[in-house]
Amino acid sequence: MAVSILGGVVANRQGCETRPMAQDELHDWDAEFEAAARRPLRTRMRYAFVRTYKPVLDDATYRSFDSLAEYRAWCEANLPSWLGYGRAV
Amino acid sequence: MGARFDYAQAEEIRDVFARHGVRYLFLGKSGAILLGFPDTTQDADVFVERTMANGLALVATLRKLGFTLTDAEAAEVARGKVFVQLKNGPFDLDLVFAPDGIETFADAWRRRVEVAPVCHLDDIIASKAAANRVRDREVLPRLRAFREYWVRRSC
Repeated sequence: MAVSILGGVVANRQGCETRPMAQDELHDWDAEFEAAARRPLRTRMRYAFVRTYKPVLDDATYRSFDSLAEYRAWCEANLPSWLGYGRAV
Repeated sequence: MGARFDYAQAEEIRDVFARHGVRYLFLGKSGAILLGFPDTTQDADVFVERTMANGLALVATLRKLGFTLTDAEAAEVARGKVFVQLKNGPFDLDLVFAPDGIETFADAWRRRVEVAPVCHLDDIIASKAAANRVRDREVLPRLRAFREYWVRRSC
């Protein structure tokens, strides 16, 4: 099913999890997308990939999980909520 | 913690993975960025086809790229453990063998975009919507707006 912006509301495939969008915000984003499209990929990537230390998450060099559900549960249980890896704030 | 992922490394992934015949797709925000989405992220995510041959090729490729894997870790990667987080190489890399929101690798491969092999924005959006973490919910409205822009621009 197509993803769509309907009447200033951004809807996902299930048609839920929406938030009202101001038209101004959409226009601003379009302008940003246009500006980005004028830059070469190499330049865009230089500014797109950043490194900051993420507590706990960056403290091991290797982790593996048998399912994404297991990974998500690990994130919920171990990471500070402000990192945003959980489903609730 | 690895260094910041950069353009040269994206090219290196593309070239080394291609040389070893690894079937993969960039996914997540890193994939969207390769498609032109102006945003920031900290690591690269790749969706890897889950076959033993592909897994073994992936291990060889990761070692070539400078990732340090023990034999036990290499075995997990080779057999396609669903989610592997690598911070033991030149940059941080997440390997996903079965992402939320995408039915099969073959489906995603058919829809891929060839900047490097990148998942279609619909698949990137679907996987983020299915993950539904705070960080995903924050980026989704802008990502969907970018998808509309990207489709308009491609027409």
